[in-house]
Amino acid sequence: MKRALTLLSFGAVLAFASTQIFAAGSIENGKQKAATCFACHGADGNAVDPQYPRLAGQYNMYIQQALHEYKSGQRDNAIMKGFVATLSEQDIEDVAAYFSSLPTKLDTVKGHIQGDK
Amino acid sequence: MLSHCESNDYTSGTFHHVPAGIVGTFLMTRLQLLGLTVAAALFATASVHAEGDKAAGRKLIYTCNGCHGVPGYANAYPNYPVPRIAGQNEQYIVNALHGYKSGDRKHPTMMAQAQSLSDKDIDDIAAYLSSLAK
Repeated sequence: MKRALTLLSFGAVLAFASTQIFAAGSIENGKQKAATCFACHGADGNAVDPQYPRLAGQYNMYIQQALHEYKSGQRDNAIMKGFVATLSEQDIEDVAAYFSSLPTKLDTVKGHIQGDK
Repeated sequence: MLSHCESNDYTSGTFHHVPAGIVGTFLMTRLQLLGLTVAAALFATASVHAEGDKAAGRKLIYTCNGCHGVPGYANAYPNYPVPRIAGQNEQYIVNALHGYKSGDRKHPTMMAQAQSLSDKDIDDIAAYLSSLAK
């Protein structure tokens, strides 16, 4: 319950912080807003628990797409549903800008298939 | 626990004059041993199941290359780049593919792909992709 309240208050703060209008995602603001994500996705965007995805260096627009899908319910995940409910469009752009800007361990599978060196 | 001891055959015979606490301790030890054995067996099974074959995964991801092997390759309607999956975390990939396979996670192409994969295929793919972390 305490945890839920903490999360809710984070959400409320995020909702108020997001009223400012930005043209595009801000890495700086995204870093602030992403604080709640760090527990699972890691402060550097590389989740340690393998059930959670690495976000560092993932495509900006893919992260936005995923968040939108969680918001609409197309992608159904109880944990993420709660978090995205607190995010505005601007928050989503900022958080995606931040995670996509981080040093990555991810790559395309180019050069990694059978027959490649 | 105590009522369990009293109704137990062990307590009525052999341990008749032994204080209940010691009987309880003895029984707990047996139960704990049994529990540990069962837990160990389950754990061993789970480990074997989770251990994907990277070499097999490398062959299986040939199909993925068509989209996930092209930097910046865009999904159409809606338009967004398909994710980078090499180096992604293992259990996340397993969950994602099972989600597509069962239809919980909806994406026409990925659902079709995942339906062609066995549980072992999924483990193998996840083992290989996660091993590619830079």
